[in-house]
Amino acid sequence: MNAHESDYQFRISGSGIAIVLAGGILGVTALAMTVQRGLTGWSFAVTFGILIVVGEMVQFKVDRSRNRAPIATSAALGYAMLRGPEASPIPDVAQVVAVVTIATVIGLIPRVVAGLRWDIVISTRRMISVAAAAAVFALVTPQTMHWDGTWSNAVPITAAMFLAVLTAGVSDALVGAGQATEALNRPFPAALRDELVVLARIGLAMGISGVLLAAGTSLIGLWAPPLVVVPLLLTQFAFRRFASAQRTYRTTVRSMARSTEIAGFSSPGQNARTASLAVAIGNDLGLTPARMEALEYAALLSGVGQLALADPSPGGASLLRSREERQQAAEIGASIIERSGVLDHVAEIVRHSNDPYRHGRANNSDIPVESGIVNVALAYEQLVGEGNGQTPGKAMESIGLGIGAEYDPVVVESLRRVIGRGFRF
Amino acid sequence: MTWDPRVTTLRLVVALTAVVAFTAFVVALVEARDPLVVAGLCLVALIASSLRSVHTQRQIELVSVVLVAVYVIAGPAAAVIVAAAGSFVQAPAPKIKLIFNSAQRVLSAAAAAVAYAALGGPVGDEVFSRMPDALIATTAASVVLQVVNALLVSMVLSLERGLSGVGEFFRHVVRTTAIPVLGYGLLGLSMAVVWLGGLNIFAGVLILGPLLVARWALSQYEAERLAQAATMRAFIQVIETKDLYTRGHSERVSEGAGLLGRHLRLSADRQNALEHAGLLHDVGKVGVPTSIIRKPGRLDDAEMDAIRLHPARGVELIGNIPFLEEVKSAVLHHHEKYDGSGYPAGLAGRNIPYFARIIGIVDAFDCLTSTRSYRPARSVEETLEILLKDRHSHFDPELVDAFVEVITTRGWKAAEDQLPPDATVQASIDHDDLSLGSGGGASGSAAGPSA
Repeated sequence: MNAHESDYQFRISGSGIAIVLAGGILGVTALAMTVQRGLTGWSFAVTFGILIVVGEMVQFKVDRSRNRAPIATSAALGYAMLRGPEASPIPDVAQVVAVVTIATVIGLIPRVVAGLRWDIVISTRRMISVAAAAAVFALVTPQTMHWDGTWSNAVPITAAMFLAVLTAGVSDALVGAGQATEALNRPFPAALRDELVVLARIGLAMGISGVLLAAGTSLIGLWAPPLVVVPLLLTQFAFRRFASAQRTYRTTVRSMARSTEIAGFSSPGQNARTASLAVAIGNDLGLTPARMEALEYAALLSGVGQLALADPSPGGASLLRSREERQQAAEIGASIIERSGVLDHVAEIVRHSNDPYRHGRANNSDIPVESGIVNVALAYEQLVGEGNGQTPGKAMESIGLGIGAEYDPVVVESLRRVIGRGFRF
Repeated sequence: MTWDPRVTTLRLVVALTAVVAFTAFVVALVEARDPLVVAGLCLVALIASSLRSVHTQRQIELVSVVLVAVYVIAGPAAAVIVAAAGSFVQAPAPKIKLIFNSAQRVLSAAAAAVAYAALGGPVGDEVFSRMPDALIATTAASVVLQVVNALLVSMVLSLERGLSGVGEFFRHVVRTTAIPVLGYGLLGLSMAVVWLGGLNIFAGVLILGPLLVARWALSQYEAERLAQAATMRAFIQVIETKDLYTRGHSERVSEGAGLLGRHLRLSADRQNALEHAGLLHDVGKVGVPTSIIRKPGRLDDAEMDAIRLHPARGVELIGNIPFLEEVKSAVLHHHEKYDGSGYPAGLAGRNIPYFARIIGIVDAFDCLTSTRSYRPARSVEETLEILLKDRHSHFDPELVDAFVEVITTRGWKAAEDQLPPDATVQASIDHDDLSLGSGGGASGSAAGPSA
């Protein structure tokens, strides 16, 4: 596996431990309460439980953020929002939490055994947000209110379901944003904005499918899950393909970037190191996911223009000593990237990645800040990266000399923070 | 203006279809009840058909979900009216197409209505007590809907484009939509249940919402795939600038391999992989010094070894991309020869991976039909003869025969003459060039690259 694959994965962090602990206590309590009172509605518990198990088993990673399990999420939400006439007795909140907990654990086991990507924190978050939805739904919907074919009952129940789903989504987005802030040092508002954008897409599909599943099961009992399985499978299928295409594209760009190393223009790992620093700075500045992606690609591809130049000197040292040569290579690189027709932002960033701040961004606000980031990341990598061996402090010092003239002050400040937090290649 | 019997027949057939459809529509108007419910369903169908055209070329989708729901909610007659209403939103097209599309939608809905009624499908609240019947009848209705739709469309297609048009339609549209159609039947039934359960028109939101999000994700998938293809092409072009004579070579090899792959009826995944392999087969050249690639005259052994490294370099470069394994083996082995005299591993016969054998043929073909500084381009016929002559020594004989057949039937657009941009550039020898016996490029010793 590529070392970069882990860039966006949350390590088990302080908040992760707290989340798993809270989820564990919640699950055990709910389990104890359910055992004491006895499980009601076995057939529903088993059917929804199986859906959740399957959904957990086929979870996947999308939007470079984290694993998603649309089938499991919809099924759990659906189980949390059942009402009569057909789905009775209605499971209480404790039973919902208990069933979701057990099913989630069972669903994760095959992934652990098979060595697939799994994340107990993410799965616990899913379970906690479903618990929140179940609680909200139980609170705002009187026990006596049932689906009976009338508009006057159906609309309030559906409104309550949407409120519950929204609670689940927003609470999970808040937790997710907190975790992103902790792990990647993204500013909280930016992280929350990203979470909400994702919520409006796959979250919307999962939530509505959950509502549909609950409404259908309430009306026609266990006939509903097989009927409603279509949108669930469709969501799963569509996002899985999306995720795999995304992954393929990303590795393609990374591989293409490595061509400068194979051709001898840059040392092994140089592009990857530059990109990881640029990404850390971008996170610190809270760029949107789309801009983060362009930034990463630009950092990876910033040297690609050299391919069109003559052979590198033996030993691989950079031929491009003068600024003019570097700017020329950046210009060529940008026109190469532009030729693809799909990476125009990336080309723009690369084009200006060797412009000194004073002659570039200071006077021309059209030049993206990302160019300044790539410029600083390249410079820092040159100083500290493999074989060059300066200490971070020393490198910071020499970059500091270029503030305002060579380097964008905002970016250098951000670099100082990133290095101060212990960033190492 | 010349008189074309086919056009006249086509017009007659469309007119006839329209008349029958209109009759069905009038009958349905008389039969249908609950005008308010029907109006609501028409609204949902209109929304669904306006959403349909956002992307994807499939004709039937969201509307068929709504139609299936209508059979259950308001009865078969209402479905015919809703189908007519839904056809008001269509992608812009010539008038005759618009008329035919509306007519065929109404007619397929009417046929499905007859099927639903004949099977005694439940209408209205009955559905809650008769789920098995509802399941059977809605499934039958959606099957009939699609079958009649397919028949009507193939009828006009055969008039317009002949039988090959019908074949295309069945291969690309009918086959890929057959399974989803059954799923849409189920989805339509769930929409009906929630509608009758009291949600009424809001049921449409619950059904269309997830479908639209899934559609969005699929369009993103498509965009990512196109972006990847475009990026790879742009990158390959850069590598080709190292060598002044091979511009467009990789794309032509990809195209030629694609032609052969379609002839061999590869699955869609493998076809795609083969085209990628064709595009990327020389990607490792980026690791060969430009001075060697452009060197005039023959190469010495050390330089030849550097050239022989390019397949392995290529695999090193694309190794992390999650392609099918066949792409990587094709890149690695595209310079193997059938008699075992190729590189890097000296594989022979069927031990050479299938895709590598294909790429090897197309690679040699494109090289011979392109101009080189030391020789003019050969004609396609001449080149095919060379391939046939070498069919046992260099290539897989069966694949050569298939390739010759493809090129003679489909034709080939050979590389345009490329003059070196700078007249002082001297002849360099193409490592793919078959026409140069030993010592040139193609027939080196079987030795692998010396480390």
